[in-house]
Amino acid sequence: MKRFLTALFAAVTAVLSLSAGAQDKFVLSTQASASAQFAGYYVAQEKGFYQEEGLSVELVHPYVTQAVADVILKDSQQAAILPLSLAMRLVDSGLPLVNILQTSMNSATVIISRWGADPMTLRGAKVATSRAGFGQSARSYAELEHLNYQWIPTASAVDLFISGAVEATLGRSYDEYYRILQTGLVRSETAVYRFENGPYNIQQEGVYVTRSYQQSHPDAVERFARASRAGWEWAAAHPEETLDIVMRYVKLHRIETNRTLQQLMLAEVLRLQMDPDSGQRAFRLRPDMVDKANDLMQGTGLLKRRVTFEELMP
Amino acid sequence: MRKLLTRLRRSFSARLSLWVVLFAALVFLSALSYSSLAGRRSVKEEAILTATQVLENTSLRLSHILEGVQTSADNLEWLVYRHLDEPELMMDYSRSTVQSNPFLNGCSISFEPDYFKGHHYYSAYSGYVGDVLRTEQEGDDDYQYFYLGWYQLPKLLGQPCWTEPYNDWEQDDTVDRQTQMQVSYCKPLTDAEGTFIGAISLDISLQWLSETLSSVKPYPNAFCMLISRGGSYLVHPDAERLFYSTIFTDGLVTPNPELDGLGRAMQDLSEGYRIVDVHGSRSYVFFMPLKTTGWSLGIVCPVRDIFSGFNRLRQISLLLILLGLLLMFVVCFRVIGHAVKPLSDLAVQAEVIASGHFDTALPESTRPDEIGVLSRSFGHMQDSLVSYMDELTRTTAERAQIEGELKIARNIQMGMVPRTFPPFPDREDIDLYASMTPARDVGGDLYDYFIQGGKLYFCIGDVSGKGIPASLFMAVACNLFRVMGKRELPPVEIAHEINDILSEGNEQLMFVTMFIGAIDLQTGEMDFCNCGHNPPVLLGPDGPRFLDCKPNTSIGIFSGWTFEGEHLSGLPGTPLFLYTDGLNEAENLRQEQFGNDRLLAVLSDPYEGAEATIRRMHAAVSRHVGEAEASDDLTMLCVEIKKKEA
Repeated sequence: MKRFLTALFAAVTAVLSLSAGAQDKFVLSTQASASAQFAGYYVAQEKGFYQEEGLSVELVHPYVTQAVADVILKDSQQAAILPLSLAMRLVDSGLPLVNILQTSMNSATVIISRWGADPMTLRGAKVATSRAGFGQSARSYAELEHLNYQWIPTASAVDLFISGAVEATLGRSYDEYYRILQTGLVRSETAVYRFENGPYNIQQEGVYVTRSYQQSHPDAVERFARASRAGWEWAAAHPEETLDIVMRYVKLHRIETNRTLQQLMLAEVLRLQMDPDSGQRAFRLRPDMVDKANDLMQGTGLLKRRVTFEELMP
Repeated sequence: MRKLLTRLRRSFSARLSLWVVLFAALVFLSALSYSSLAGRRSVKEEAILTATQVLENTSLRLSHILEGVQTSADNLEWLVYRHLDEPELMMDYSRSTVQSNPFLNGCSISFEPDYFKGHHYYSAYSGYVGDVLRTEQEGDDDYQYFYLGWYQLPKLLGQPCWTEPYNDWEQDDTVDRQTQMQVSYCKPLTDAEGTFIGAISLDISLQWLSETLSSVKPYPNAFCMLISRGGSYLVHPDAERLFYSTIFTDGLVTPNPELDGLGRAMQDLSEGYRIVDVHGSRSYVFFMPLKTTGWSLGIVCPVRDIFSGFNRLRQISLLLILLGLLLMFVVCFRVIGHAVKPLSDLAVQAEVIASGHFDTALPESTRPDEIGVLSRSFGHMQDSLVSYMDELTRTTAERAQIEGELKIARNIQMGMVPRTFPPFPDREDIDLYASMTPARDVGGDLYDYFIQGGKLYFCIGDVSGKGIPASLFMAVACNLFRVMGKRELPPVEIAHEINDILSEGNEQLMFVTMFIGAIDLQTGEMDFCNCGHNPPVLLGPDGPRFLDCKPNTSIGIFSGWTFEGEHLSGLPGTPLFLYTDGLNEAENLRQEQFGNDRLLAVLSDPYEGAEATIRRMHAAVSRHVGEAEASDDLTMLCVEIKKKEA
């Protein structure tokens, strides 16, 4: 784990600093393969919102076997889409990251059991976990609950789940959940644990840049955030056209998916963007959720210190 | 439509033909329905048999391919274990394995990180890119194969297995993604202690597999599908569904319990068939599991395909039946029309006869059936009709002659009563008017008047009965009155004389009521004798009133009867209105009589002369009678002796 964090630290530092000189070029590394999860950014790109803000944005998707940190190591991205818990771990490791746009207002993390049992009762079970880096809070919570899961990192979590090679898998309610649902193997909601409904509903995806980049390019960062937010709002208002755009991207990136899955994914991603208190699409990091993530990860040793809300803000 | 129905109603042959055809249609359609049901059942059983055989053959064919892959994996495993200390040989083995097995698209022999010294990654891979077989060590930081399913599955399961479909491409690949979709047969490699050291993986191109099975078509639109353990389409003719969708995908948005049920049955490795909507088409899906793989093979046969031949045959049968029925209608119509043609001819001839040509010849019929009998009966009827018409012609002529004679008799009768008004143009003191309207050609009423010896003799009478007898009796009575009056006899004597003459030899017991009066034109005194007649009305200054009369009997009944005469003075200036019972007993359609009240009411109007009074009375009684036929003769006479000026 230490090796992983060191590598990730070096990667993000290298990537975000190397590219600091570019004025109009803005490279965004997504967290995973092309899908409706990134619909707002595709829309901003396709509808010219970035161009209107004077930005030339490139969207980079990692290969399935690549951890998001590994991708950041190689290219010259200014920004990366990271789950809040992973961003906090990077900050804790010494990489000052700031949140420039928070899209998710709820946790999408789910644990789905293969044979119908409540995942919270599967002590010692083999649980597949994605390389996309969204499972930090789930790992902490499992440890807190003394579930002693055997985590199986994989790029084929759904395949392992289907074959019964694992007893459960960690996933996201907009992605792995629907992919498993379309296998017909999960026939009851009791086999699904949703963090959104538990004590640790911690918001996930947001866009992060290094603090130094943010300080040297405040205008570009602000324009990028504004255009991306406009992309998401347009996507929420035009789901069918957005879906057409998403399908063009997934075909371009040769993703094994179908329109139905992407339609469900888009609807779920947009739902998770609604603030649980206000019911609005807030696009902001919540201090209480940062505190909650601190409590969870500090309690299980994933954070050595508290990462404050102010540290994450520009 | 209305015209057609009218023609049907009018044409016996068309109506009968229609009933025959309708009955035949009922029989034919019942037979067709039964044969359709039986035929459909038979076709279905045949389809099940055919599809099951095709399914079994396809399963055997597929099993042969998959077993070939498994055998290749076993052979490769043996080679790998013999040369675990020579990693460079793994490249040759993977290449030769692909080359020796035409079903394979690729082969990898992969090891745990750092299994070989100096090799953190070691994955010997051979695979086709287009038509070129490429061999390389493909593990690196970008492609960390040990996180992929084909490597992890045998590691975690500890036994050989088949993967779900996956797309084995690298980011810089430019090959069409569908050509890269594959499934892999994976086998774990372990060391002597049983520790996992790596995995071998043999890949089959799903594109190739799908093309291989695309020829399985027991029906034109039937297709073969292969479902993985996770419900994915491993073989499917729709490129959009192949690999990327599962049998449950559509049901995520629009629940499809039938298709979901089929998917679960196939997933549970059941065998059988179901009828479901597959992508909008009602289809029979026959399915059976492929042992050792966890996959299920299905053949989808659209219902319309299975029953297309049967449906076409049924449609042709239906068309033939309809044409047959139409032909039957035409034939029936013609045959029945020919059979009933004598009736039509008879009808035409009947029309001709009805128009007056009674001697028109009827068509000869020698047929022994009912139509022949009818034809001959009609001939007899025509003969009778001709005879009847001759008789009718004769009697009509006779009747015309009688009517002519009656007309003459009427003229004679009317000539017997004075009809010239004013009757005494040189006498300004007499205003007299009379009218007689027989109910038939000749009537039994009478009136008369004349001046004789300074007196105005007048009478009005009504003979019992009607018609010619009454008119003859009236003529006699009328002549007798004139004869007796000319002898200047007083009215009572006139009554005696007429009664004696008429009652003698009166075997028919006919009689006549009469009112006989004689007014002295000098004094205005009136003698009168009422012989059973309606009392006249005096139109005095106090209004009309009936004249009080003695109750004498009618004339002609009792010979030698003594009549009582009466006398009335002060008549000048008081008109006298006489009438027969045809006035006050005139009935309307409701059989209400005109009556004395209406009579007096009409006479209550101001007196405007004798003629005006009678015309007004005529109009009143005509209004009352209306459309009713006159039941009795109507005779009225009005006379006024005007007062002499002082």
